[in-house]
Amino acid sequence: MEFEDAPRQHYTEKEKQEIFNNEFMPHINSMYNFGYRLTLERDDAKDLVQDTYLKAYRFIESFQKGTNAKAWLFRILKNSFINDYRKKSKEPSKVDYQEVETYYNSDEVDRQITPDLRVESLKDMIGDEISNALNSLDVDFRTVIILCDLEGFKYEEMAKILDIPIGTVRSRLHRARNLLKEKLKSYAQSMGYK
Amino acid sequence: MATSSNPFILADGKKPSCMEMLQSILDGEATPEQKEYFKKHMDHCMPCYKSYNVDMTLKELLKTKCCGGAAPEDLVAQIKAKINTTA
Ligand SMILES: [Zn+2]
Repeated sequence: MEFEDAPRQHYTEKEKQEIFNNEFMPHINSMYNFGYRLTLERDDAKDLVQDTYLKAYRFIESFQKGTNAKAWLFRILKNSFINDYRKKSKEPSKVDYQEVETYYNSDEVDRQITPDLRVESLKDMIGDEISNALNSLDVDFRTVIILCDLEGFKYEEMAKILDIPIGTVRSRLHRARNLLKEKLKSYAQSMGYK
Repeated sequence: MATSSNPFILADGKKPSCMEMLQSILDGEATPEQKEYFKKHMDHCMPCYKSYNVDMTLKELLKTKCCGGAAPEDLVAQIKAKINTTA
């Protein structure tokens, strides 16, 4: 899958070590956070990140030195999560993509551009509200927010990491944010905001 | 305002919604012309103005609240040990 389409590079052992240490390892904290946000378990996150790095090393000749290592690593982790972890835990994908597309393309989106959430109430969320709200989203929605808002990937990079068209990246992101805002709105209400 | 000058208009001629423009701005996907256009648009579109502030705040909060943790130290050591035994 992710290793097949790339032209094969040839590296010496020394070069492999250099790429691994200088291009892959600097992303370990982001990778761990991604693993944790996907699995919501610290031990599972560790396993997932370790598997990802071992795969990255094993297939290092599919990686072209100096290209986007972070996106490449995120893609491997995402695929490991789907193929190994998710299968094991049998958590089905709950996102109805058909519905997402319809939602995005309907005229209703402009009327409801944003769930009514205020800047002031957001700024009062000084505890774990934001983090908990993010973790409570279905994994496919959570993933696009992690990639875009936490990690700053561009739509094009996200499309490659997730193997979906850019239009789907956009619509899924929009839906994810509205769901997140709905959650935060109920937190805000419980804190006494209207 | 002449819609023909809207730099957000897609190749197929479809006029993007406020929400679609806002999303491009928010995520840094807009061109300089699009940013300029949207800045003026916000002056007369209250929903965009309000949403822009909420969405920007949320985006910043997500980054500060949900990132920044370090991976466990033994994880790095474990990975390096495995690499060295397989290499
Ligand atoms: Zn507008």
